[in-house]
Amino acid sequence: MKSPLLKKNQKMQELVKILKKSNDFKHVQYMNEQTEEHFSLMFMSTMVEEKIIHESILPFLLEGNFHRLEDVKKIVPLEEIEFSEDPLEIEKKLFNGFVVLLLEKEKNNYCFLGAHKEVGRTIGVPEVEFSVIGPKESFVESIEQNLNLVRKRIPVKDLIIEEQTIGKYSKTKVAILYLENMANTENVNTVRQRLQEIEFDQITDSSYIIQIISDNQNSPFPQLLDTERPDRVSSSIIEGKVAIIVDGSPHVLIGPTTLVEFFSSFEDYFLNWLISSFFRLIRFFAVMFSILVTPVYVATLSYHYELIPRDLLNALVASRMAIPFPPILEALFLELTIELLREAGARLPTKVGQTIGIVGGIVIGTASVEAGLTSNVLLIIIALAALASFTTPVYRIGNTIRLLRFPFLFFAELWGFLGIVLSFCILLIHLSRLTSLGRPYLEPLYPPRRVDFKDALIRLSFKHQTKRPLFLNSKKPERISAKKAKEKKDIDE
Amino acid sequence: MSMSIPENKKVSPFLVFFIINTMQFGIGVLGFQRIIAKYAGYDGWISVIITGIGIHILLWMMYKMLKIVDGDIVSIHSFVFGKTIGKILSAFFIIYFCLLTVMVLRTYIEIVQVWMFPTLETFWFALVFLAVVVYANFGGFRTITGIAFFSIVLPSYILAIFLFTIPYSEFDNMLPIFEHSIKDILTASKNMSLTVIGFETLLVFYPFIKEPEKSKKWGHLAILYTTFLCLYLTVLTFAYFPEKQLQLNIWPTLTMWKIIAMPFVERFEYIGIANWCLVILPNACISLWCASHIAKRLFSFTVRKTVPILALLCLIGTSLLFTRTQINFLSDLVSNVGFYLTFGYIPLLFISTLIAKKVKKK
Repeated sequence: MKSPLLKKNQKMQELVKILKKSNDFKHVQYMNEQTEEHFSLMFMSTMVEEKIIHESILPFLLEGNFHRLEDVKKIVPLEEIEFSEDPLEIEKKLFNGFVVLLLEKEKNNYCFLGAHKEVGRTIGVPEVEFSVIGPKESFVESIEQNLNLVRKRIPVKDLIIEEQTIGKYSKTKVAILYLENMANTENVNTVRQRLQEIEFDQITDSSYIIQIISDNQNSPFPQLLDTERPDRVSSSIIEGKVAIIVDGSPHVLIGPTTLVEFFSSFEDYFLNWLISSFFRLIRFFAVMFSILVTPVYVATLSYHYELIPRDLLNALVASRMAIPFPPILEALFLELTIELLREAGARLPTKVGQTIGIVGGIVIGTASVEAGLTSNVLLIIIALAALASFTTPVYRIGNTIRLLRFPFLFFAELWGFLGIVLSFCILLIHLSRLTSLGRPYLEPLYPPRRVDFKDALIRLSFKHQTKRPLFLNSKKPERISAKKAKEKKDIDE
Repeated sequence: MSMSIPENKKVSPFLVFFIINTMQFGIGVLGFQRIIAKYAGYDGWISVIITGIGIHILLWMMYKMLKIVDGDIVSIHSFVFGKTIGKILSAFFIIYFCLLTVMVLRTYIEIVQVWMFPTLETFWFALVFLAVVVYANFGGFRTITGIAFFSIVLPSYILAIFLFTIPYSEFDNMLPIFEHSIKDILTASKNMSLTVIGFETLLVFYPFIKEPEKSKKWGHLAILYTTFLCLYLTVLTFAYFPEKQLQLNIWPTLTMWKIIAMPFVERFEYIGIANWCLVILPNACISLWCASHIAKRLFSFTVRKTVPILALLCLIGTSLLFTRTQINFLSDLVSNVGFYLTFGYIPLLFISTLIAKKVKKK
């Protein structure tokens, strides 16, 4: 039988053998000038900051009073110094930006010195969820920086950050953030358990997590909110929600969430409640308009032209006089054109994309009307519908709405208004069935909860925001004391 | 025989309001005015009130029975009649609820065929509609309650739209009152039953209510609201139509919509009828849910199996009805069965339950 020491050595040698195949692996031998101890450093040159090695590690190891491995703590001015006897740790630490220190004398003990290299972009301005008023910071790809952005906004001990590693090859760090005395334990457990159950070889972005842990993966509706705004995340955590930060992703997930939250921009909280309520209502109207207007056009012109008053009908018929196609083909033609422009605009570099958008939109639109392929009324309608679908503050739900229009269009062509209502019924059923981390997705619309309407379709003033959202089932449902909020003095007192 | 429903599958007590109200307010509302006017003339509004009062009493009885057995109709039947007879009686309810589904769906399709699409294929529409119903049923009782909720809240704007008829109305039509005998008025009440049946579903979904005691209030409110809505419609219809003209309209409610004109919409009935699809959807969903749930209790099948099977039967039933006479026969049948079931059988069952309770105590 081999002794455990020998076994360890063998493992170590195997590891070094594999590592040596990579060019960025360095293994350098040194000798201390004072004590004449022989030691070596192992590191991946791509993962460590060489400046740290040259300035904060090597001079001290070479000149300090260095006898045993434990002395390192005394002589090297680094915070991250760890010891281990497990050769398996070496691999993990090497790829996390640590320098491994081996002492000739102590073969079965390893010391790890943190010398991470920070490569990444600096914190920038939110681009997807831009707001005119309010903080301009947005998340970046590094989990440490992102955690810092949240932590500094909630500087209390109750903010818990639980980290775990997911992904067989990507070894992605995923952190769950919540307030211990606020978030519902069930929600936290659900998130933790679902994350633990993930079995996938790589987690490239938080979008992977959304798709894998969603309650219903066959739904076009996003069931977790993703945001790039640290202010939105911290405010959600304080509401009692759970946030998931994924290393390498500038988008943080928030759950549980509801459908109406996808239509509320975080800027709503920075504006006066009357103004933001008005904007929210406009957004809901825009979304309904965007989904329904083309199907209604098709249904009306295919089946129910009696519905339109005569004067309006004249205008409609006049615009369609020369068009050889039935309304559905006309509508599909234009819808597809808009989708093409959108898709092309999204794939091209920004500057080219804009040009294509303008040229494509104006030229193709005008030309197709002039060529008699589509009516100008429909052109107006479709352009408005496309515009309306851009009002959604969360990008993901915008995509959902883009997709939803087509089943509606299909049913409208099939059964006119009846088809539209029928597809609306299907949508309603689907939405009532959806849950986000086990909480109803349509809340507060269904189950109807009057209290939560304070921040749903409209947003009431902060005076009325005395309770945390009911569906979160928070441990502390009271936000501020309702009594204090209601205290009012008489006039002239 | 009582069963345990997990707490997170139950619904809040106040949602009972929507379930009962939506079940009552369905296809019958489109044409009940003609029927009551046929028997009680323009004193028909009194019949509406009488029916309303009657249902309040029935609802009270139902809650009492359900409280005694703490279960559903199957529990009541086995409590009163023993297992075998109880099961046979419960099986009738499956047929009844299936018939109700077929009647609602087929009548709606008929209306669509007459008013909007003469060429609409009964089979294809019924297929899609029932598929939607099955999809809702697979979401469980909470989803169905959600649909019931939306089917009351979303189309409620239509109620205001009826006010468009007021400039063309003559409220003197209803004077003088009490022109008809009590018997006429009661006959009208009886014939109105098709409009207001549906509250008997409570016998099945009672165990799915959180704190059922609290839901009593909401159940009675629902019935009050239905009575109010029917009264509202009756008064507006009687004012809008002269008595003889009313008899010429099978669906007076729809005819009333025809007068509505807005700058961008004429012929509002197209929108109204399409909207009614949302109104009848929960009717079909809840009836089918009740049928499949009783089937599950009786034969210990899973609902996953009973729902598609019963939906398929309903689809066949719906597609087999072609002519107006057949449809009329079905709606008369359902309305008669519904009447005797609610106003005849439920009081009987109520008395038997009370007796059974006394006997068992001894």
